[in-house]
Amino acid sequence: MKTNKFLKIVLGLMVTFAIVSCVQDDDYSVPSSMGNEENTALNNLLATGTEVSMAELKQMYLTEPDPGDNAAVLIETNIYVKGYVSSSDKTGNFFKEFFIQDSPSNPTIAIKVILNEVDTYNQFNFGREVYVSLKDLYVGEERIENGVITIGGGTETDQYGTTVTSLGTIQTNSHVFRSTVTEEIVPLNLTFSQINASHVGLFVQVDNAEFADNLIGKRYFDPSQDFDTKRTLQSCEGFSYSTFQLETSSFASFRDELLPVKNGSIAAVVNKTYDGSGLVLALNTTDDVMFNNDRCTPLDINDFTVVAEEDFETAVNNTNLDFPGWTNFAEAGGWVWREKTFSGNGYTEFSTYNSGDAVNIAWLVTPGIDMSGLENVFVNFEAAQHHLDSPDNTLEIFVSTDFDGSDVLGATWEPVSANLPSQANSWYEFVDSGLIDISAYSGTVYVAFKVTGSGTDTTLDGAYQIDNYKVLAN
Amino acid sequence: MQALINDKLTQIKLLTINSSMKKSLFIFLFGIFSTITAVAQETVVKGSVTEAISFEPIPSVTVTVEGTVLSVETDENGEFQFLEQVPLGEQVLHISKSGYISKRYPIVVNQGQTVNITDMTLTKDVSEADLFTITLTDDELDSDDSGLDNISGLLQSSQDVFQRTAAFEFSSSFFKVRGLDSENGSVLINGIEMNKLYDGRPQWSDWGGLNDVLRNQELTTGLQPSSYNFGGVLGTTNMIVRASQYREGGRVTYSSSNRSYTNRVMASYASGLLDGGWAFTFMAGRRWGNEGYQDSTLYDANSFFASVEKVINEKHSLNFTSIYTPNRRGKSSPNTQEVYDLKGIRYNEYWGWLDGEKKNSRIKEVEEPILMLNHYWDINSKTSLNTNVGYQFGKIGNSRLDYAGGANPSPAYYQNLPSYFLADADGPDYAGAYLAEQEFINNGQIDWERILDANLTNNIPVNGEEPGAYVLYEDRSDDTQFTVNSIFNTEINENILVNAAVTYKNLKSENFGEILDLLGSTVGYLNVDSFDGYQYDNQNPDRLLGEGDKFRYNYNILSDVISGYAQAQFKYNKIDFYVSGSLTSTTYQREGLWEHSAYPGNESLGKGEKLNFTGIGAKGGFTYKITGKHLIDVNAGYITKAPTIRNTFSNSRENNSIVDNITEEKITSADISYIFRSPIVKAKLTGFYSKIEDANEIAFYYADGITGTIQQYNETSAFVQEVLYGVDKKHIGGELGLEAQVTPTIKLKGVASVGQYTYDNNPNLYLTSSSFDRTRTFKSNLKDYKVAGGPQQAYSVGFEYRDPDYWWFGATANFFSNTYVDVSPITRTENFYQDSDGLPFNDYNEDIARELLKQEEFDDYMVVNLTGGKSWKIGDYYIGFFASVNNLLDEVYKTGGFEQGRSANYQQLLEDNSNPKRRFGPKYWYGRGTTYFLNVNFRF
Repeated sequence: MKTNKFLKIVLGLMVTFAIVSCVQDDDYSVPSSMGNEENTALNNLLATGTEVSMAELKQMYLTEPDPGDNAAVLIETNIYVKGYVSSSDKTGNFFKEFFIQDSPSNPTIAIKVILNEVDTYNQFNFGREVYVSLKDLYVGEERIENGVITIGGGTETDQYGTTVTSLGTIQTNSHVFRSTVTEEIVPLNLTFSQINASHVGLFVQVDNAEFADNLIGKRYFDPSQDFDTKRTLQSCEGFSYSTFQLETSSFASFRDELLPVKNGSIAAVVNKTYDGSGLVLALNTTDDVMFNNDRCTPLDINDFTVVAEEDFETAVNNTNLDFPGWTNFAEAGGWVWREKTFSGNGYTEFSTYNSGDAVNIAWLVTPGIDMSGLENVFVNFEAAQHHLDSPDNTLEIFVSTDFDGSDVLGATWEPVSANLPSQANSWYEFVDSGLIDISAYSGTVYVAFKVTGSGTDTTLDGAYQIDNYKVLAN
Repeated sequence: MQALINDKLTQIKLLTINSSMKKSLFIFLFGIFSTITAVAQETVVKGSVTEAISFEPIPSVTVTVEGTVLSVETDENGEFQFLEQVPLGEQVLHISKSGYISKRYPIVVNQGQTVNITDMTLTKDVSEADLFTITLTDDELDSDDSGLDNISGLLQSSQDVFQRTAAFEFSSSFFKVRGLDSENGSVLINGIEMNKLYDGRPQWSDWGGLNDVLRNQELTTGLQPSSYNFGGVLGTTNMIVRASQYREGGRVTYSSSNRSYTNRVMASYASGLLDGGWAFTFMAGRRWGNEGYQDSTLYDANSFFASVEKVINEKHSLNFTSIYTPNRRGKSSPNTQEVYDLKGIRYNEYWGWLDGEKKNSRIKEVEEPILMLNHYWDINSKTSLNTNVGYQFGKIGNSRLDYAGGANPSPAYYQNLPSYFLADADGPDYAGAYLAEQEFINNGQIDWERILDANLTNNIPVNGEEPGAYVLYEDRSDDTQFTVNSIFNTEINENILVNAAVTYKNLKSENFGEILDLLGSTVGYLNVDSFDGYQYDNQNPDRLLGEGDKFRYNYNILSDVISGYAQAQFKYNKIDFYVSGSLTSTTYQREGLWEHSAYPGNESLGKGEKLNFTGIGAKGGFTYKITGKHLIDVNAGYITKAPTIRNTFSNSRENNSIVDNITEEKITSADISYIFRSPIVKAKLTGFYSKIEDANEIAFYYADGITGTIQQYNETSAFVQEVLYGVDKKHIGGELGLEAQVTPTIKLKGVASVGQYTYDNNPNLYLTSSSFDRTRTFKSNLKDYKVAGGPQQAYSVGFEYRDPDYWWFGATANFFSNTYVDVSPITRTENFYQDSDGLPFNDYNEDIARELLKQEEFDDYMVVNLTGGKSWKIGDYYIGFFASVNNLLDEVYKTGGFEQGRSANYQQLLEDNSNPKRRFGPKYWYGRGTTYFLNVNFRF
């Protein structure tokens, strides 16, 4: 039939149309050209620009031509800075900003970049090698005197000075380039007491940390606060805690998570509070809070027993010290430590007054402490001075494990720190040394008191007194 | 062939009967007695109508005696006979049928004689313009979140000048007849209702592109009785797709346009009734284009249709129809005025360039095949029973980007626009605003490369990989619906027709999100609410999803509907009237397949409460024929019906909660018309009143400034579901339709619709959110605000010139006014002026507040449309050509818009309004500029 034939032709045409006339398909595969533009821009920068270190860049702000005007500095030369992203806004704890540090491991310095973009983590990801082409950008602070040197895209001036403002989207695309490299960031291991302003922007790790006792049951963010919540971190150091603040933004996705109760390592970015008044840690993610151990307890003196002590009550006034087990040795000069009593209290003293020697160096070495079976071993004593006129007239404390009981100079002595009297103290005021932790040593440990002075130089002829020497262990 | 067509088919003839059985059924159904008369015939007027070229008989031609109310239709053989006394003397017969050019024949009727006119012919109306125009049903602009809706599909087959104008001239302005949504009209295919239980609306794209085979439509408008169902307030359209009802022949059509699709090819063929009682009809079509009027609104639609009928014997016939119209459409965005000012009215924020191609992130894909089996049983010459079984399955998907780990990809996100910088708390940031403006003008589209780059960056394993920052997913609604119904028609006598039907529907609607594309991520996408950290699927927490995995929500809605209706229609010389009643039982139940961690246990998981609704309907009306020229038509009805699924569950994606005080929606409606019919002028003037009570409206948005409600969480912004319940609306107005055949070739048309559609009470409002559970219930002071949705006043004037030489030309000018923005109900509650302590804001000023809350009325506008066409007959073939230009003058106008839910309180709205440019101003839709449509078809 004619119509059937016609129909066949028409249907054939229809099928052809249906196949040929395709419209947008569902293909979202990555175009091969993707990233070319950024690569080209980066290669161009590397070929034509000059790299500056972060320290040099910061100096451009800190030692600007017109110091004291608190103004962000416009970079007018074709220089760039390179770094590795050390912060992440994945959780919202950082906002429109990221830090880059100078090295993926053992970093020494970092600088901040502010940009008008959220979720930068999926572009400038943690560990990504980033180059910032600085020409036409600014270096300065977001808030005058907050001490966080920042790369910005513009400036804003108020009565306090001129601050940097964020890079716009177009500036970011034309000034901040990624290489294809993402490095593993190894956190810099520090203790809370070691963290200082030079660490701002670095990704650091503190071990043996935990949240303060009164925060148990609390969350990262306190809903009664508006922007940020500070939570105290602590770590046990001897008989007390050292502490640090962890600051969390109200926009952090983990804001309502309970603070972990346990103890362990925390890795975070060193940052400053909004006004720059204090240092804080800021988390990239709570995955970096690795608190799996039991909470630590500072040492309690009541838990300790005295394994050795000498209160010098048997001293015979004004005789050379000859207590059994003690070694009294003059390295220079003729005088040694003396036994003394005053108002019924016995102690030992070394003075160079009128010794006649140009140099006096006197060692007093305690009896050996057998460390076997002991842990948490601390040495404690009291010391006082009189007639001390110079910091060069010193008392030093040493520890040795290879002293043979007689050859003082033949042994290896390591200095240990202790709280010692100085010119600031009153004469004859006994000062507690604090607890000198010698737990790390094994075998037989000797403690030495070494005074250096002069019998001829009257500024160096003061005296040191030692009393109530104790060795504590639990 | 002709002899076969002349076989007796299922045609109801107007014959007198007096059946006590039918009568008792009738009495049983309605309890109304009626006098049944048989009229003796002395003078007979009869004849037949054939097609002017083929001389094939034309059934269903309306033959009227001009100046009287007498009217009959031709039967299957094209024959007719007046059963009532035709006035003696010189009369004019007017013969008309949709798709044909009407004709007038003078006759002389003499007492006791038979007038037999067998040579009347009708010529095909070669323009057939309307069947090929793109109307809004093709466009499917009624995206799910827009609230825009159109009713043109309900009206296209109407003969009434008002309704045709509403369908073809007003629809691009989202004009709604009487201000009512399309859920108030029923769309049936072979007697099976196609309106979705989800929102009550017909899913037009389920049969889009099948114009050739959907031309047999029976339309009843308003409350007028349909012989298929009780219907809604806007009437019923039944599309008859029986294979035997198509005339033998074929048609090939090609169209080109710049409105929605670029190209359309369609071919159809109908066998007519073949030897052995078989009939076949087939159609296939394709519509496609990369871009419609709005940027990157792709169109990719195929249409297939097959219908087979077997006429078993004189009484029984079986028909099987399958309809399959898979289609994909790129959606376009509503935008704020700031965005339109920068990017123009074609701007669409949903797309971006990728690898040299425009990619639209929001694609609507509909693929819902329909299968139906229909049994037609002519029990006797006056009674028929039609039983239908329908099965529909498939999916509706709406794609979009999710950005759990990335910045909002919307290029028109408020923080990317100049207004954001001008509203800087430290004073306008002009430099930032300038840069943002340049960036938006020069780019201002989705940055697909950045999206892919983000996911690739997150794949880097060195310091620990991250889940995808972005994902393309699809909101899916996979409905499986089974419908069975029986439709009974009988003529008690020549005056009384009884219709009744029972229907059972069963729906299982599977709703879930599905990952379409990981966009480069090899890690997967986290099934967790990135905003609040909630687990979408608490039984499988922190699950990483791949392509094809379900995402975000997963639940079923189960529904059963049993309904029945019965109706009697009475036709007499002076008066026609009807009464109709219906009863519907509806159940809904949500079954959560996932536990949402904000809603533990049965709050979200497992089956929720089973809801039962009982709907009743009663209506009646009459047409009083004062004379043949002057008629009065009156209709009134009261309908209660179950709320739609959409308006029943307050947050169905997340939990089993049901809207407070859920109850049936109630509609009271009445209209009165005066109809004037003369040989030259036809006019209809209607006044109408509809009152809707206890309606619900649920909206979703991101709200800022919901103080006083959830302050205990120190949070004033959240993604919320806004539940408005107990809403009353009042729709009153008038309609006028006028056409005058001033010369045999020139016809003038005039149409006016003047309405006032307002909220009629202060409904209740509460917000729910996974961020804060729910607020207390407020009163929203909406009374007397205008109901948004198209112009409340529309006027059209136009003419048609129809040359005897088979070409024609027409033009209309259409005026629209009183179009209003959709107000945000939350800003009309106490929340608007209350601070978190429950006291009014310190700076609250009632006069300023009144100004802020004033409903925006859009500018009036005029749209001029032209149409024209010509046809040729070459041998046995016809070639038709049709062209139209819409909005000839390129008028720029807003068709609709809505206030954003952001800035929900006085202080924020004031702050936003006092900025140089509003950040959260209303979002608008603009109408299209000048567009064209060309069509050629070839028939054989």
